[in-house]
Amino acid sequence: MVLMVLMCGVMGCGREPAAGVPDADGVTKVKVTLNWVPEPEFGGIYAAQQSGKFAAEKLDVQIMPGGAGAPTWQMVAAGQAEFGIASGDEVVIARSRGADVVALFATYQTCPQAIMVHQERGMKQLADVFAGGGTLALEKGLGYTRYLEKKYGFGSVKLVPYDGGITAFLADANYSQQCFVTSEPLAARRQGAKVRVFLVADSGYNPYTAVLIARGEYVRKNRPVVRAMVRGLRAGWAAYLADPAPANQAMAQLNRTMENATIMQTFAEAAEAQRTLVAPAGARSEDLGKMTLTRWKELAGQMLELGVIEKAVAAEACFEGNL
Amino acid sequence: MAAIWPPVATFIVVAAVGESVVRVWGIAPYLLPAPSGVVRAMVANWRELLGSMGTTAVAALVGFVMAVAAGIVVAVGLSTSRLIQRAFYPYTVFFQTVPVVAVAPLLVIWFGAGVQSVTICAFIVSVFPVIANTLTGLLSTDPALRDMFRLYGASYGATLWKLKLPSALPNIVTGMRIAAGLAVIGTIVGEFVAAVLQGNPGLGVMVMEARRLGRTDLVFAAIFAASMLGLAMFGLVNMAGYLLLRRWHASER
Repeated sequence: MVLMVLMCGVMGCGREPAAGVPDADGVTKVKVTLNWVPEPEFGGIYAAQQSGKFAAEKLDVQIMPGGAGAPTWQMVAAGQAEFGIASGDEVVIARSRGADVVALFATYQTCPQAIMVHQERGMKQLADVFAGGGTLALEKGLGYTRYLEKKYGFGSVKLVPYDGGITAFLADANYSQQCFVTSEPLAARRQGAKVRVFLVADSGYNPYTAVLIARGEYVRKNRPVVRAMVRGLRAGWAAYLADPAPANQAMAQLNRTMENATIMQTFAEAAEAQRTLVAPAGARSEDLGKMTLTRWKELAGQMLELGVIEKAVAAEACFEGNL
Repeated sequence: MAAIWPPVATFIVVAAVGESVVRVWGIAPYLLPAPSGVVRAMVANWRELLGSMGTTAVAALVGFVMAVAAGIVVAVGLSTSRLIQRAFYPYTVFFQTVPVVAVAPLLVIWFGAGVQSVTICAFIVSVFPVIANTLTGLLSTDPALRDMFRLYGASYGATLWKLKLPSALPNIVTGMRIAAGLAVIGTIVGEFVAAVLQGNPGLGVMVMEARRLGRTDLVFAAIFAASMLGLAMFGLVNMAGYLLLRRWHASER
């Protein structure tokens, strides 16, 4: 009996059959599962919902916030949500494990993953972080960790797990940690720390990040819905880039992890810090979220070389370029 | 030898059912791996698994021994008077209720990442059952025997050493049995946030890494290794209990 219930959960049986396809009025209910709490990384999604961009596409989008380690690609692959947010390397991992997950829209053209250090240590480049001793907090197993290890070696630093916070960083002058340039450095500066940030992308590992994903089968069967979703999200990001305040307000209401008094200012700073990562100089609003085969090929190749995946993944299948 | 067959049969049946469920329903391996896939992952990664198991075992054992020693001392202290018991016993429950996941990041800040913080996690989750069971044992000494010790003018120390602790021994062993499994859980949760990631970083780190890589088979392999470790510790406690109790206590005859 317990096994049956578990199986149902795993296989997703007993779901409302109406989800993900248009109802009698032509409105489609879909779920998007996020891999973090509401914050500017998802600004375009909340902006699209708030300013009616999804509604204009006849979409009724339910946004499901996640947390550290939310298994979004597994949830999407298992059909618990039509859409999800994952990183580009997770898409490659998912496909190498046999999950038919495809990328539809890449929020960050430049990966915001970075290493932050205390400025007082006088480090000039990423390589210094690994030669300078002290402690470095990372998520072991992810592609960028292996990339850094291969490129710089972890010889002189003590590696510890990244716990999602900045307390240890603030308490220890020789502590460095992984971060999103849009998040932890801002929080640390607010607490009075002097922070130096090095983008991992600058050293040559740059997966598309905060990528909208869906099941390949769902995309093939519901092209109009998927197209509407991507159009809505793109319009949402254009709206967010023009004025992040309304969506920030909505996300601040939902985000219980940050200081109330300063959250709006932190979000405003984050929206500014991520601007060029989302929309590189010269990008038009119709370019937002677009991906290229070259980038996916490069990523899939790097991941194979690093041993993150055991067998090659076809870059063509990783993303849907013609929506 | 006959005692070994029932659990082995259970294992074979459960594995066979799991295998056929996964195959018949075509469940994707990243959602639920077949037992055969888990075995393959164990074979392919045995070196890493054994190394991590060793690291986890050391931290769990040290935490467990600390918990047993501290648990017995605290229980003896609590048993000295009703007043002390009323004043402090409720606070020992703290150890049982404290969410170790929430405390572990703080331990890292206070003590630094590494085996010391991981061991403290193991200690925190495994100390309470030792305290609670030892205290119960100390308080349920046969009143007739206690009166006899008093009649002969035995000192507190002699009563404790020759009467109370020996008669509490079955309870202490029960507490230790519970603590043994919990120490392994505490260690693995501790490793999620408090381990050093280089070298053989322990089963908890392995679980996290495998999960990030979508290697559900390896997650299960590491979990299986952890339960083997828990079983081994449980077995050690049982053996100690048998050696200590076999000559006089009904539960081990």
